Amino acid sequence: MSKRAVEAIFQALFVLSDLRSLMRETAPQHELDDEQKRRAASYIEEAKDQIGIIEAELMR
Amino acid sequence: MKCALDIEVREVEELYINIDPIQAGGRLTPAAMKSAIAYGDGYSVCDHCLSPFRLDYIRNPPIAQFHADLAAWLRMDEVRVVPGARRGFQAVASTYVEKGDPVILTSLAHYTEFMAIEEAGGVAREIPKDENNHITPDATAEKIEAVIREFKRTPPLLFIDHVDYQYGNVHDVRAIARVAHQYDIPVLLNGAYSVGIMPVDGKALEVDFVVGSGHKSMASPAPSGLVAATAEHAERVFRTTTAKGDVTGRTFGLKEVEMMGCTLMGVTVIGMMASFPHVRERVQRWDREVAHSQTVVDALLSIEGTRVLSDHPRQHTLTRIDTRNSLDKVARTHKKRGYFLSRDLKTRGIVGVIPGSTKVWKFNTYGLTEKQIRHVADSFVEIAREYGLNVS
Repeated sequence: MSKRAVEAIFQALFVLSDLRSLMRETAPQHELDDEQKRRAASYIEEAKDQIGIIEAELMR
Repeated sequence: MKCALDIEVREVEELYINIDPIQAGGRLTPAAMKSAIAYGDGYSVCDHCLSPFRLDYIRNPPIAQFHADLAAWLRMDEVRVVPGARRGFQAVASTYVEKGDPVILTSLAHYTEFMAIEEAGGVAREIPKDENNHITPDATAEKIEAVIREFKRTPPLLFIDHVDYQYGNVHDVRAIARVAHQYDIPVLLNGAYSVGIMPVDGKALEVDFVVGSGHKSMASPAPSGLVAATAEHAERVFRTTTAKGDVTGRTFGLKEVEMMGCTLMGVTVIGMMASFPHVRERVQRWDREVAHSQTVVDALLSIEGTRVLSDHPRQHTLTRIDTRNSLDKVARTHKKRGYFLSRDLKTRGIVGVIPGSTKVWKFNTYGLTEKQIRHVADSFVEIAREYGLNVS
């Protein structure tokens, strides 16, 4: 059992949901202001981190 | 792009501004999206269902607390979640209406109110709207009197729409409820267009039941909703089963007859719960939503010949507009006929107006950002100018 991998999968999906919501909030042009860009960058980083955890856990 | 098999991904909300009249208040919050991912399986909220084995008693996830919070929020005594407002109408009508009973609703009532009455064996009688598309206390009293004369008995129930789906007008519920109560008629508030988007106080409105829609106005997956009752009526509408198997002798504990036992056992109730903190907070910003609605209406009214058929100034985000003497004049000669409007809007990233509609149509601006509202307003004006319509 890899609880860590499972939690990372959910965390990645959740942070992608935040990104999805940002797409909704900025539709249709998706021109992000500074604050929205900061949020997007933070979500993308978080998603990368979680993917890293999943990879480390399942590919070891 | 497909989700599975022939099921296309729905990306309308991500790619466009959606002003569909019925979809605006049901868009999920990020919290509801995340909860839907985790609780998509069928009986997903039942992992910790302990005796007495009923949805509203489950503590983990905190469904019991959610019920208590909903009741307090609406200032009602008891609440149950149901699969859509219509199931709330059905539960109350089934409890109060006997075969042949007259039941009062309004000439602006949703069809599901008629069907709830029909299923219970009742006979629907409509309160006429006035020239301003409102249901008035006087018209209510006249209708009650007429129905009593016709049926020789008092109706057991009256439905009133807080906000009607046809015009998005807000009706004088408290005054109507007072009239009904003079005849001892319980009042059911249809809050499908109010509960979850604007403040609703059951006590202040003096109603006996509040019915709300999760998927229409509480940022929740479909089908979801709620039915709330005062203490006086809760025991009756939420009565528990007395059924007993004649062969097995089985009984069924605290299952509620009108709820058919448990109601929302997975993603629907979890979605409602996840969105609830946001929903509770967003109703406090109702004035801003109404102002946004007014901005778009003002833009449309700047196009010569346009009329707003809903109350004006706007009191709600759902609006019925008449463009027979403006945008429809374009449709009469355009090669795409009435479809030009939805096409031109879509080109600008806006959807939700029924394709082909250029005469009388509805839209809902609920939940849009300031920038999106400006874009919608400017787009209508731009389209009008492109076709040579006068814009003031």
